[in-house]
Amino acid sequence: MQILVCIDDTDNIESRGTGELAEMIAQAIEKQDWGKCSWITRHQLLLDPAVPYTSHNSSMCFKADINIEYLQQIIDYAANFLEQESQVDADPGLCVIVIDDFLDTKSLIDFGYRVKREVVTKDDAYNLASRLNVHLSEHGGTGQGIIGALAGAGLRLSDNDGWIKGKIKINAPNNIINVRDLCSHPAIDKVRNMHGGYLEDSELIVLGAMVKSIIMEGRAVVLVHKSDEANDLSLWTTCSKKQLANYEELRTLVENQ
Amino acid sequence: MWKTNENGEKEFSGGKKDWNGAASAADRCLAFHSDVEEETVADEAISCYNCRFRRWTKSSFICCNSATDNPTSKT
Repeated sequence: MQILVCIDDTDNIESRGTGELAEMIAQAIEKQDWGKCSWITRHQLLLDPAVPYTSHNSSMCFKADINIEYLQQIIDYAANFLEQESQVDADPGLCVIVIDDFLDTKSLIDFGYRVKREVVTKDDAYNLASRLNVHLSEHGGTGQGIIGALAGAGLRLSDNDGWIKGKIKINAPNNIINVRDLCSHPAIDKVRNMHGGYLEDSELIVLGAMVKSIIMEGRAVVLVHKSDEANDLSLWTTCSKKQLANYEELRTLVENQ
Repeated sequence: MWKTNENGEKEFSGGKKDWNGAASAADRCLAFHSDVEEETVADEAISCYNCRFRRWTKSSFICCNSATDNPTSKT
């Protein structure tokens, strides 16, 4: 059975981040042999004065392949974990969704994108969760985090939002690697030109200061651009944080049209 | 580099794309504290855009560290 687990609003300005808590829940699921977890993704939500977020308004989500008998245990564990580990002044929310043929993915994805562009209420989130029969629960404070938790799950389901938590470390001579070898990393499926299509296996990439994957068409994709210092070889360079942030912002604008 | 917004908060007047300005401001700030990796957006390690005390707004960010209310500089 495949599930999505998404959490939001667990932190304050000085605590450890929601991403770290998501990671700890994922690790617990694996340690208990309840299942196997995939990458944790970060999903940006609306930045608006009417939304009482702490600092970034982003939710963290991961997929897990679990044994069906452990579903309730996982929900109970995550709920308890949030109550214990979230900050006292946080408003944590937890969403757990079973991905099956009966799931109304369109409504969930639409909700996710809606939360990226407009202010949404807790009632909106609870009503949708009830209609779709997905788990949504609050675990402290105002429980406002349920909105981001449900939205983040929808955005992860879209297969076209968010980036993967964590820096990717690659060892390559002279920091140059071909696409095939780069894609052998578990957090990289494909390499794509930020202005165009996917690269062929034999193409060469100069690794920049940071390598990071975004989710695109359901894959973990590293974005690259043409190197400035191309000589005889046709070289690409991994996009910087700035470039990725700009790309993600543009992608959101396009999706919202 | 800073302005006081309508809520009385210290808001960065450079918006979200003044990379040099944000790096310069953080470099001079004694209160800079790096945010978690997944929330950093600037290539410069030390940048207000990467600081734990920045709270994003629609067009910029607010500095949430009370220690920065009074101008402080690194020596």
